[in-house]
Amino acid sequence: MSIAAVRRRKISPWPYLLIFPSILALILILGYPIVKLLNLSFQKYGLTQIIAGRGVGVGLKNFTDSLSDSNFWTILLRTYAFTFCIVFVTIIVGAAMAHLMLRMHNVIRILLTAIFVMVWAMPQLVGISIWRWLFSFNFSIITSTVRSLGFPIANHNYFQNIISGFTIIGGCVAWGALPFVTISIYAALTQVPKELIEAAELDGATRFQVFKNIIFPMLFPIYIILISLSVIWDFQIFSHIWVFLDARPAPQYFTMAIYAFEQSFGQSEYGKGAAISILMIIALLGFTGYYLKQMVKIGDGQ
Amino acid sequence: MKSKSSIYSNISGIFAIALMGFPVYWMVVTSFKPKDDILSTHPSFFPHTFTLDNYSQALGKYGFTQALLNSVYVVIGTVVISMFIALFAAIAVARMKFKGKSIFIMSILLVQMVPLSALLIPLYILLTKLHLVNSLAGVVLAYVAFVLPFVVWTLRGFLVNIPLDLEEAALVDGCTKPQAYRHILFPLMAPGLVATAIFAFIQAWNEYLLAYILLSDQSKITMPVWLGSFTTRQGTDWGPLMAASCITAVPVVIFFLFIQKQLVQGVTAGAVKG
Repeated sequence: MSIAAVRRRKISPWPYLLIFPSILALILILGYPIVKLLNLSFQKYGLTQIIAGRGVGVGLKNFTDSLSDSNFWTILLRTYAFTFCIVFVTIIVGAAMAHLMLRMHNVIRILLTAIFVMVWAMPQLVGISIWRWLFSFNFSIITSTVRSLGFPIANHNYFQNIISGFTIIGGCVAWGALPFVTISIYAALTQVPKELIEAAELDGATRFQVFKNIIFPMLFPIYIILISLSVIWDFQIFSHIWVFLDARPAPQYFTMAIYAFEQSFGQSEYGKGAAISILMIIALLGFTGYYLKQMVKIGDGQ
Repeated sequence: MKSKSSIYSNISGIFAIALMGFPVYWMVVTSFKPKDDILSTHPSFFPHTFTLDNYSQALGKYGFTQALLNSVYVVIGTVVISMFIALFAAIAVARMKFKGKSIFIMSILLVQMVPLSALLIPLYILLTKLHLVNSLAGVVLAYVAFVLPFVVWTLRGFLVNIPLDLEEAALVDGCTKPQAYRHILFPLMAPGLVATAIFAFIQAWNEYLLAYILLSDQSKITMPVWLGSFTTRQGTDWGPLMAASCITAVPVVIFFLFIQKQLVQGVTAGAVKG
């Protein structure tokens, strides 16, 4: 549309000028790579192709290969299960903590908030380093505490068994995520007007009814946002698994993100890695869509 | 909505403080313990002797100063560029009506959802083409794009909460639009701007994965990647690692204390049906 046409329809060019730099940055650094990712996923792009500087088109082969590989499905299911457990724990514990915070003594609440803020601010790698130290093989404070409680356990490699390994990694993730979840729910709870609850209580509502009919519906949007955000974050966890397992995770620790990374940077099968990455995005689409709908509603309703 | 304190809540509060705080406590305590106490099969919960050995070892470790400088460079670059770009976009989104606004909001939110790890491969290829692999400028560019959606969104949240009437009154009194922005909107936005800038700061300071992939040159690493270098195939230097972790965490913890409230407000703005 020419500028003259814009003027004629009385559309100001300002908003477009203002969003232009953002769009440029997003297209260059995110848009182009997304297109490139799609492009790669239809190619064989291994070491030979890197040297030649161009991939060889293979159609849908990367996708059909992945989808017919039983490994892929195991890893996908494992990633879903891992994500589900962490999100479930963070949301339930976070919501419970937020409700309890309303009834805490001021001093305790302020102390707890301070701890939350500290944990929230911890750089991811600091958090992971601390947890690795807590569960180290030789000098773990956890092992020695369990032992001093009378359980005969020797030095223990917690990552030998994938259940205990994933529990610790998940614990570290949940520990890092809880502050954001709890404080967000708490902040939302404090915004629920007290009169509303008092009125309901006067009318004889039980505490559970108040929760079910007033608090929960009012907090519903924030729960949706927190749940979808958590799912999206936890599904793509990479650094935790990578660093906990010394950058050499065993195949039974592979999640989608690690699998895609391993295929590309480990096996130099960049095309296959790209296809797995795209399948990973698709696996998340449901949650993404739900989150988007909620956020756009908020963005438009001003 | 707040109620009187109850015993149950207080007990669970203390319990939560202990559980959430213990890892942090353990990091700090370990960082001040002498080596013999750290490498013991019966570690004690309280340090018997204090030492700064771990700190001097961590600070003397190869690459600390360089990593710190690199992190500062990356952080300043990311914050300045992203704030500048995002402020424009946020004004457009919060204050103006235009065709395609929903699409813009949608795409901003959508790119936030794309897993970073999925984009590593093409991003690596792109930055290789631009000769920006192993360069801090490349990392800044990538970080700007990754914090941008959140920064635009949060700034929008702050802007929406400033009543439009104030601006309109200024316009009626004869201000031009840029004047109205400069004298009315920006001063009122200052707390929001600071909070958002600190958020971008924290993101850039904490980010590990991209820096780990994009910066292989020892002289280019940032603080989180430097932290990763304490683990080698021979094992991990736990004492110095905990000291280094404290050093890395302190700046963000301090900044976070400042903005905690605004950040939550920014996240939840408009999310509760009033």
